[in-house]
Amino acid sequence: MTHEDALQEMAVERYLLGELSGTSLESFEEHLFECSDCAADLKTGMAFIDAARIELRTPVRVAKPQVERSSRWTSWFASPWVLGPALAACLLILGFQTFVLQPRLKLEVAGAQAPAVLNPLVLANAGARGDSVPEVIAPEHGSIVISLDVPTIGGFSSYRGSLYAPDGSLLWQTTISPEQARDALLIRVPTDTTKDGLNTFLIQGLSSSGTLEDLAKYRFSVRIQK
Amino acid sequence: MNFVTFDASYVSKLRAGDAPTEQHFIAYFSELMLLKLRPRLRMPEQIEDVKQETFSRTLSLIRSEGGLRHAERLGPLVNSICNNVLMEQYRVSNRAETLEDEVAERLVEATPDALSKVISEDTRNLVRNVLAGMNERDRSLLRAVFLEERDKDEVCTELGVDRDYLRVLLHRAKGSFRTVYSKRVNMKNTIETAGGSRPAAL
Repeated sequence: MTHEDALQEMAVERYLLGELSGTSLESFEEHLFECSDCAADLKTGMAFIDAARIELRTPVRVAKPQVERSSRWTSWFASPWVLGPALAACLLILGFQTFVLQPRLKLEVAGAQAPAVLNPLVLANAGARGDSVPEVIAPEHGSIVISLDVPTIGGFSSYRGSLYAPDGSLLWQTTISPEQARDALLIRVPTDTTKDGLNTFLIQGLSSSGTLEDLAKYRFSVRIQK
Repeated sequence: MNFVTFDASYVSKLRAGDAPTEQHFIAYFSELMLLKLRPRLRMPEQIEDVKQETFSRTLSLIRSEGGLRHAERLGPLVNSICNNVLMEQYRVSNRAETLEDEVAERLVEATPDALSKVISEDTRNLVRNVLAGMNERDRSLLRAVFLEERDKDEVCTELGVDRDYLRVLLHRAKGSFRTVYSKRVNMKNTIETAGGSRPAAL
């Protein structure tokens, strides 16, 4: 047997498996004693088999599955103790929005869109009589209409209207053009932009140089109806 | 096992009784004869007897008047003499046991040296790694053939493979193992002969 024959026939493996006999066995063994390559291969194979017999006796150890603990600081989000209450809170908010807020908003929108006769609070002569303060009952989340005159003296380029709360804090401001100021001014004031109590509406004239000049101050009492 | 060339110089030194050459000669062919005789002789004492007798006759022949004419035939000569001694052993024991399809128990050396112990543990680790890289079917196949010593055709049929698959499996496993194992054995041999005056490989 030549070395090439031995390789082609996998003679070393056959020898290790005890598959060679007779003349093939004799031929391979003779080759084995003269071929150091096949001799080394056979010795290695036998060492492998000897050790494998020992290792194959031992059952394969299956490592206990390790629950990977995330070390990220955000991992607490996934805790059931956090998710449960969070979900309950979400449901609560959703329910409040669905069953309380939305019907109320729809009602308000419907009210705003429906035709209605306006009863403006006339403030035309409020400055003249300091002791009489008109009162208006304003529906909560609704609006009121105030009517007032803008003193058109001084040739101002425009006018500013400002509403002040009972505590003197500024609630809102609006710009009034000279064209609007020619006639009685009607201003729709959302109740939410007023405060319960004595409110003050200030009219100022804006000169071309940018300076403001107080022209009139109107006081009225707001009673918000809840 | 180192790759060696048995040339005229080697045979000449053997004939002259050069101790290191003789030690190498005995170590090299002892391993081969062990592989040859283990399937054939159950008793470790019988294997040792055949080995000793083979070496004795071979060296006598080499040192005789005609000697060994073709140095490269040293290996086949040892094999041939071993066969003869084996036949005589069979006649003496009056048993024609051949264990061609059975694998003998592993022979445990009486006094393994420290390096052998280390290599043995190392070898087991290497083999463990090779086995771990196999699927369960392949491990079952090797377990059935080499540990349980079941009939190979029966095992292959049971696992849905043929004998070629078994040979290739063994070939690949041996190849994976050999890559690292050979380096470690060579290292061991180098350490053992480091103090000697001549290298182990010729």
